[in-house]
Formats: sequence, C-alpha cells, structure tokens
Amino acid sequence: MIHTFKRGVHPNYMKAPEIPISVVAPPPQVIIPMAQHIGAPDKPIVKVGDYVKMGQKIGENPAPVSAPVHASVSGKVVAVEPRPHPLGDMIMSVVIENDYKDTPCEDLAPLTEEQLKDPEAILARIREAGVVGMGGAMFPTAFKIRGGIGKVDKLIINGAECEPYLNGDHLTMLNFPEQLLKGIELVRIASGLDKVYYGIEVNKKDAIELLNSLHPEKYGIEIVPEKVKYPQGAEKMQVKAVTGREVKPGGIPSGVGANVVSTRTCYAIYQACYEGKPVIERIVTVAGSAMNKTSNALTRVGTPLGYLAEQCGGFAVTPRKIVLGGPMMGICATSFEAPTIKGTSGVLFFTEKEDKTVEDPHCIRCGKCITVCPMNLEPVFMYMYYSKGDYEMMEKYHITDCFECGSCSFNCPARMPLTHAFKTAKLMFQAKAAKEKAAAEAAAAKEAKA
Amino acid sequence: MEKQERIVLDVAYQPQVRTNMDTRRIMLNVMLALLPTLIAAAYEFGFKPVLMVAVSMASAVFYEWGYRRLTKKEPSIFDFSACLTGMLVAITLPTSAPWWLPLIGNFFAIVIVKQLYGGLGKNFVNPALASRAFLIASYAGIMTNFAPARAMGVDALSMATPMSYLYSGQPMPAYYSYSNMFFGIMPGCFGEACKAALLCGGLYLIIRKIISWRIPVSFIGTVAVLTLIFGHEGYDRVSWMIYNLLSGGLFVAAFFMATDYATSPVTLPGQLLFGAGCGAITVLIRYFGSYPEGVTYAILIMNICVWAIDKGFRRHQFGVSKEDIAAQKAAAKAAKEAAK
Repeated sequence: MIHTFKRGVHPNYMKAPEIPISVVAPPPQVIIPMAQHIGAPDKPIVKVGDYVKMGQKIGENPAPVSAPVHASVSGKVVAVEPRPHPLGDMIMSVVIENDYKDTPCEDLAPLTEEQLKDPEAILARIREAGVVGMGGAMFPTAFKIRGGIGKVDKLIINGAECEPYLNGDHLTMLNFPEQLLKGIELVRIASGLDKVYYGIEVNKKDAIELLNSLHPEKYGIEIVPEKVKYPQGAEKMQVKAVTGREVKPGGIPSGVGANVVSTRTCYAIYQACYEGKPVIERIVTVAGSAMNKTSNALTRVGTPLGYLAEQCGGFAVTPRKIVLGGPMMGICATSFEAPTIKGTSGVLFFTEKEDKTVEDPHCIRCGKCITVCPMNLEPVFMYMYYSKGDYEMMEKYHITDCFECGSCSFNCPARMPLTHAFKTAKLMFQAKAAKEKAAAEAAAAKEAKA
Repeated sequence: MEKQERIVLDVAYQPQVRTNMDTRRIMLNVMLALLPTLIAAAYEFGFKPVLMVAVSMASAVFYEWGYRRLTKKEPSIFDFSACLTGMLVAITLPTSAPWWLPLIGNFFAIVIVKQLYGGLGKNFVNPALASRAFLIASYAGIMTNFAPARAMGVDALSMATPMSYLYSGQPMPAYYSYSNMFFGIMPGCFGEACKAALLCGGLYLIIRKIISWRIPVSFIGTVAVLTLIFGHEGYDRVSWMIYNLLSGGLFVAAFFMATDYATSPVTLPGQLLFGAGCGAITVLIRYFGSYPEGVTYAILIMNICVWAIDKGFRRHQFGVSKEDIAAQKAAAKAAKEAAK
C-alpha cells in the first residue's frame, strides 16, 4: 500500500539523480559560522593564528539545544569575526585558510562494538559530532532523540525528499545503502525501539528496491512507500502518512508518540559512529536556470556559494536569486560570500525564468489554496484577515498552524504572497505573546515585591 | 569573484517556484472552453452570434479600460477577465437581440457590478448574470424573443422555445426531440442551445482543474432529482426530467455561470450546497415563477448567500480530533458548573 496525506501539490520536480556525485575541491578559505543549528550559537574555541586539523572541534556551547561545529579543512585560522550567514545577518564565524593537506583530527575514534549497542554512547557521539537535522531544520539530533525516549513508539526516517531539484537523499540511498541502514539502526537503538519506519516517495523506486534487497528487517527497518506529493517530507505529513496520527496544534511529533529523522542525518550518524567523522561535508544539489549544468556536489561545510557555483560549471547567465534548500521552502541568500552550512541540501541559482511574482496581485477568490493546504487551513480567509490586521479572526482561522510549506502560494493563480503573509503574521503573534508574557511577569514581580 | 560582487541579488519569500496556471491563463482557458459553444452557435444561427460576441467583448474591454483610467487605477484589461465577461454577456442574449444591446449589458456588468465593488474578485454577484437580469427587466420584449435555429427549416422571426412549452404545461411538439435539443436545433440564447458543446467545454474545465465538479454536478443533479420526484401533469416523469435538463439554460449556467470564482463558495462542502441551492431555486422558479427560465435568478440569489455558506463549512483543525473537541466542551461545561 502506498501511504500519503491529504491534499498537497505536484510541482515540476526537476530531479536529476542520474547525475553522479561530484567532489567539489575544497576552497582556499572556508567560513564556518557558529550558528548551524536551532538554539544558542556556539562560542569559538580557537583563535586567529591557531592551526586546526580537519574535523577538529572549533566551536561549542554547553546548552542542551546546540551542536558543536568542526573545521572542514586543515589549516590556519585567519579570522574569527562576524561574516555573512547564508540565512541572513552577520554571524560570528571562524575563517580557515586551507593548507590542502586535509590532516585529519583523531579526536573522535570509531565507536567500539559494545558502544555501538549502547544508546548513551551513541547519543553522546551524535552530539559530539555536531549532527543536526540535515533536511534543513538543523535541530540538534541528539536532543531530539533524547526527548523522545519513553514517549515515542513510532520512529520514522524521512526519505521523501519532496522538494524539487534536490537529489542528496536519493543519491545517499543509491551509493551508500548499507551504511545508511546501519545509521538508521543506530537511531533506532538510541531511541530504545525495536522497529523503525523508513518512508520513501515512490519516485525513488530504484532506491526502494536496492534497500529492500539488503534485508532492512535485519536492522529492524520497514520501508514504507509513499505517494509522490509535496510536502510529503514535512514532519507532520510524514507522521500522518506513516502512522495516521495528526500532530497537535503547536505541538511536535513526539507529542503523538512519533519522531522523524531525515535520511542525510542517519548517514551522518553512521559516519560519526562507525568512522569517527563529524559533520563536515554533505551532498549539495547545485542547479537552477542560471547554471550551465546541474551538479550533485559533495561539498565541505563552509564553502562560499560563489566558489561553489564556479566549481560546479559556472553561470550560463547572471543569476537573480540564490535559493538555499529546495525552491518550495528554501530561503534566499543575500551574498555570494555566504558559505554552505550543515543544513544546505541545495543551492539554486535562479533567473527571471523561475520568477513568477507580479506587482499588485489581486485575489480572484478561486479557492485553489484551500484545495491544496495539507493543514486543513483556509488561506484565502487567513489572508483576508491578515490584510485587515484582524488578529482575533486570524487566530480563529488557526493561522499559527501554518508551517509555511508554500503549497497555497505555489498554486495561487493570482500570485498572492500568501506564505509570506502567514509567516509575518506568525512572527507578529510570537511578538505579541512575548510581550504579554513579559507584562505578566512584570506584574507578578510587582506583586511579589508588594 | 569581483564580477559576482556586482550582481544585485533579489530576496523573495518562499515558495520560489509557482504553478504556470495564472489568472490570465485561467481566463483564456475558460474562453477556449466556450469556443465549441460559439462555433455551434455560428452553425445554428449564422454570422450574428460571432458579431455579437465581438461587439460584446470589445465593449467590455473598453469599459474596463476606461473605468480604470478615469479612476486612475492600475490597468487590468490584460488579466482578460473583461474579455470573458463580454463573452458571457453575449452568449446569454437571444438570437434576435440588436447589436447595441451588449453595449448596455456590458456597462452594467463591468462598471456597476464589477468595478464599483473594486474589480476582479471583489464583486458579489455574477456580472454577466446581473447584466442579464437587468436587460430582462429593461428590454423584456427583446430578451424573450427567440428565432429558430437554421437547421429547423422554419422561416420565422420568432418561435416558442421548449422552455415556454414546459412553463405552460403544454405537450412538447415533436420537432423538439431529445437529440435536437441536445445538439441545439432549437430557438434560444446563443450559448444555451447546443448542450453537446457546453458539455465538452465544461468537462475540459473540470479536467484542467479550473472549475471543480462539485457545483455543476450538484446543480444539474438537484434539478434532475427534483423534477423526477415532482413530475408534471401530461408528461411521464423521465421525459419531464430530460426536458427540464435540456430545454433551458441549465448547462451554460451550471458550467460557466455558477462556477464563477468570485461569486461561488471556496469551501468544498459549501460548493455542493451552493450547487444544490441553485438547482432547487431553479426548479422552484420553473414551477411557480412568473418567468419560464429560473437559472439566472437562482444563481443570483445563491451568489448573495456565498459568504454565509463559506462561514458555515470549516474543516477540522489539523491535529484536533472529534474526541478532543468533545473533551474541550466537557471541560468548559464542567468549569462553568464549578463556577456556579
């Protein structure tokens, strides 16, 4: 049986898994931002002039919701200063001048046989190796798994890769199937479960067949074929498709006993535990109409976007936009100098060809947004109340349930900026809630004094 | 690298890609879906429908352009919605209408019904049908005077339509056979005669997902079921039902008028109710009204109810099951009682 969720859209997928993985030569300088996860940014633990080895830890934070970062090349630290971050802003970064020797750091040894069966050892290693949600959310994986122990009975590995263009997960399945299954097994052991479900969209038929031929049941894995539909890879839709459960409003999957870990994250866990390798590289799909060709590039973390484009065949025409991740949920980078980070699954260089915005759009009330919203929302009314600034009605129409998958905007013939509006509205709600909380706390403090 | 620094990058919010089906393409597709009807009309009634559609479309675009220009608003003729309105106004005119009638009809449709309320998507009744209602009231003689189709071989300027036979309850003459009515060998408005052409266009729109099947199916279905149940003296039930489906403007109304985006519900169960309401009022008017054809007024009445219908049908909130809602209600009740 093919599993799925309700509604969703079918964008033009533009996938190219037939293009083999190419290795991008490490750049002369890597820029490693201290914020490559959700949570408090790391503090640099190296200073200018230090020599660092490839894989050496260069930034950390003791807070539980964080992950350390590692040097992706060996060489001399030439700067520790704020640099452009791919997701906007200037963020404290460590800049390393590459000595092209790739001298490896031996701090993380492969785990022993016993350690590979011990959940605590695996979790400690996942954290030490800086593994975060590599589907793009960059949530610290060790914290996520730990938070689910005892609560989660359905562990799901996300192999949907529903975003157009991206091929990294698919190529990982095809090129490293056994390593991937071992990585998934580690997540299962760390979660203390007997079984794990691996949801894969059926457009990756070759990968499903290959993985099934390797007896996934040996590792306690069941492969769940899923319908090809965006946003199948969203956490909530994965949980819905595989278990039929719906994550509560404002809640996380573990609230309904499910946890979702991405394919690339599992492979990173394999590398961390079996090979003692921290997260310092990943497959990045480089594509878009501005590029001469599409590449599935094995790229070091910290490679500047402009350098990456040159290494991947260069521009055919001047790009208008740089999109990080897939085109549906991806965010625009503002600088060619910004580096790739752990969560960068794709870098798309777009021109006018992909751009379909219009000035002064008018809603024609066609309701096509309602027919695609996977969260049962009514974007047409949410947008109406948003433009009026009517908070009460926005709340009544559950605007904060929106997880910004972009399906409504994608399907909108009038090109209304729906997702953009809902994102802004959610930020306003957050600010409002924070303000109210602060006011309540101030009142409580006053009362306590009196 | 220096070259890259000079490139100015755009920042846009997600999603970065969008479907190809934009407003303009939708309007063009609806016009394309009306093309078979127009060809059938030209075959049945000669060159006149072509002339009327041309005059009507040109005048609609002129009013749209003129209004936006005089009020100093963004020009909007290139979304092609005015073209479509002009086409729809023309096909609801009778064969005997003079060439200047669309000029008046389109002024009412474009300026009064559509633009005064803010333009595309803001009007609350269907512009083409509102203009038709206006013309029926103002030019009753012209609007109810129908010439026969050429293939009927009747040399007359005016002829009783099947609808008027149904309305008066007289038996249907033999030349109004099912097949003649299906292929449009009958007097009527330009667009209502050939059901086969309308069905082709309607199915095209449903397959292209431009309109949903819900409104036409529930509209036509309700008319069929109600006429089958209630029947009429002098007709057997089935033939009464088929005559009711084929004789008037039901098909053009169900596929092209009731499905107008701005004036139909956006919620999916709401669309079913809207279609059913249109069907029920149509039958009511045909049985008891003072005018034979009821689809125009049925749709206009339901147009006014759209806002209420949409408010009444909300989907369940994702992650909130029926049990959750029941538990919430019970908790609220308990809290209320505790407060007492």
